[in-house]
Amino acid sequence: MPPIIRQFRDFFVSLKLTVVLLALSIILIFWATLAQVQLGIWGVQEKFFHTLFVLGKIPGTDLPVPVFPGGYFLGGLLLINLLAAHIYRFRLEWKKTGIQLTHLGLILLLLGELITSLLQVESNMRIEEGGTQHYSESYRNNELAISDTTNPGYNEVVAIPEAVLSDGGAIQHPKLPFQIRIRDYYPNAALHMRAAPLPEFATSMAGSANGAGSRPEQNSGQIQGGQQAATGPVATTGLGPRIVVTPLRLTYKQDERNAPAAHLELVGPEGSLGTWLVSPVLNAPQTFTYAGRTWEITLRFKRHYHPFTITLLDFAHDKYPGTEIPKNFSSRIRLRTDDARQDREVLIYMNNPLRHAGLTFYQASFEQGDKVSILQVVRNPGWVLPYVSCILMGLGLLVQFGIHLTGFVRQRSTAS
Amino acid sequence: MSSHPLACAAVLTLLLTSGCRDREITAYRAPKDPVPPAQPATPASGQLPPDHPPIGGSAEGNRANTAVPTGGDSLTWTAPVAWTAMPDRPMRKATFAVKGTDGTTADLSITSFPGDTGGLLANFNRWRGQIGLPPLAENLLAANSEHRDANGLHVEIADFTGTANGAPTRLIGAVVPHGGETWFFKLMGPEAIVAQEKTAFLEFLRTVRPR
Repeated sequence: MPPIIRQFRDFFVSLKLTVVLLALSIILIFWATLAQVQLGIWGVQEKFFHTLFVLGKIPGTDLPVPVFPGGYFLGGLLLINLLAAHIYRFRLEWKKTGIQLTHLGLILLLLGELITSLLQVESNMRIEEGGTQHYSESYRNNELAISDTTNPGYNEVVAIPEAVLSDGGAIQHPKLPFQIRIRDYYPNAALHMRAAPLPEFATSMAGSANGAGSRPEQNSGQIQGGQQAATGPVATTGLGPRIVVTPLRLTYKQDERNAPAAHLELVGPEGSLGTWLVSPVLNAPQTFTYAGRTWEITLRFKRHYHPFTITLLDFAHDKYPGTEIPKNFSSRIRLRTDDARQDREVLIYMNNPLRHAGLTFYQASFEQGDKVSILQVVRNPGWVLPYVSCILMGLGLLVQFGIHLTGFVRQRSTAS
Repeated sequence: MSSHPLACAAVLTLLLTSGCRDREITAYRAPKDPVPPAQPATPASGQLPPDHPPIGGSAEGNRANTAVPTGGDSLTWTAPVAWTAMPDRPMRKATFAVKGTDGTTADLSITSFPGDTGGLLANFNRWRGQIGLPPLAENLLAANSEHRDANGLHVEIADFTGTANGAPTRLIGAVVPHGGETWFFKLMGPEAIVAQEKTAFLEFLRTVRPR
């Protein structure tokens, strides 16, 4: 074996490497725990664990530099270290079966965490009592949805992730007869009503959605309210001319969401169709017509459509008698698949989620005087791996200690 | 050992595909959104049983429990039964239509925004601009606002009369800072209706309380 390869092998199978990696992991977890006070759980996961390196900034500049190995780096090296040592030291002896099984369980645990962190998708399904829902919404990711709503039976949707909007530039999609030019984008922004729309755009609001522009107001034409308005182009159509955008700092708090905003100009072959302001804060899509078709444009929480519907039959919020202390939250739902193969009632309550089509539905929250239930919807292709790895590790330890115990008992009986 | 390159390729593919996932533009056919159910409508007096006491006015007993706390929101309220809760509108926490005896309607809007939104004077002047009034100078702020404390909240109330679209228009508004946000309760409409509903509006403000 060439010396260089031997050096690599010795490095990756080394127990010293394991100890160093575990020590660094302890420091990383301790640091992240302290940082959670400032960043919240999402921020900490992004900055410390779902990254190869923890990045810091050179004082006085915005230049990011790696300052510590991140979760992917340490976890990845630990996995390689474990695999390499396992393969290198592997001996097919039944006396070592327990150790082999335990290590296999540990490898599966690390792989499971990798798969979970890369592929797990979490969203929320909010259903009112009596209401039916066929999609769940992300609570951290947003998307620009442009829908052709002309057909009375369905919408043709083009969904563009927020990450693409943040790049700026222009987007052309074969299903859209116009180009989307991103005039500006704010990852978190507050929206405020202007005292009145800009006079030159007042007429263009007539076709805007939701009637929000229906009450004519005085034309002061000035940004009031003492806010520092965002610079950049202003919307020319839809709700935008009535609204001032104020950029905000990104929030990482667990109970807060960032509300992005963007000014988007739609440009067809004949020229500009107008510039729209979009933000999830606006709640509802804005409507316009182009090329004989009706369109809706909205920046919304990313939707995950499912091939089934869930109807909330009843939400129960039980309390201990005579107190306000919650005893039980449960949702009685009706699950119907689009192919009509399943139509059944399910009771979802704490620690008793519904598992269907690779998704798990947990009772997560409720709203509006116990009339709205919020289910957490989790898609995790690796959800079974931690269970398998725990069984393997438990079995491995049992076998290993069993072998030792048997040997010990045999020795004693021989001695006596 | 021969499975090594395969394993590496699998992990790399996983990393790469998961990285691309967040940037993928998708096109799909989706069912129409269901029309949101209307807010619980308050019954008109003609629909009440014959022996039912008359509704309206500002007595606490006549309030419908129409408090509509929305997710994560921090205030609740109870509106008089005579007001009609309207469907959700962009940027609003709630909207009520306040009908006058002559068939005209005033609009009650409830909104909230993070921070102090520029301060009391700037917001009062924003409202004044909506009914064609010139901005107030800072030294006149105290004379044009009324402070009340209710349910642990500090409420600043303004009452302005001006014109909108050439018609006499009155605006009674309340600014309520709470939990790092500023809440606005604004009743605006024809002068006659707003005058008639002022007592009910002030009573309504007393029902605003933290969740």
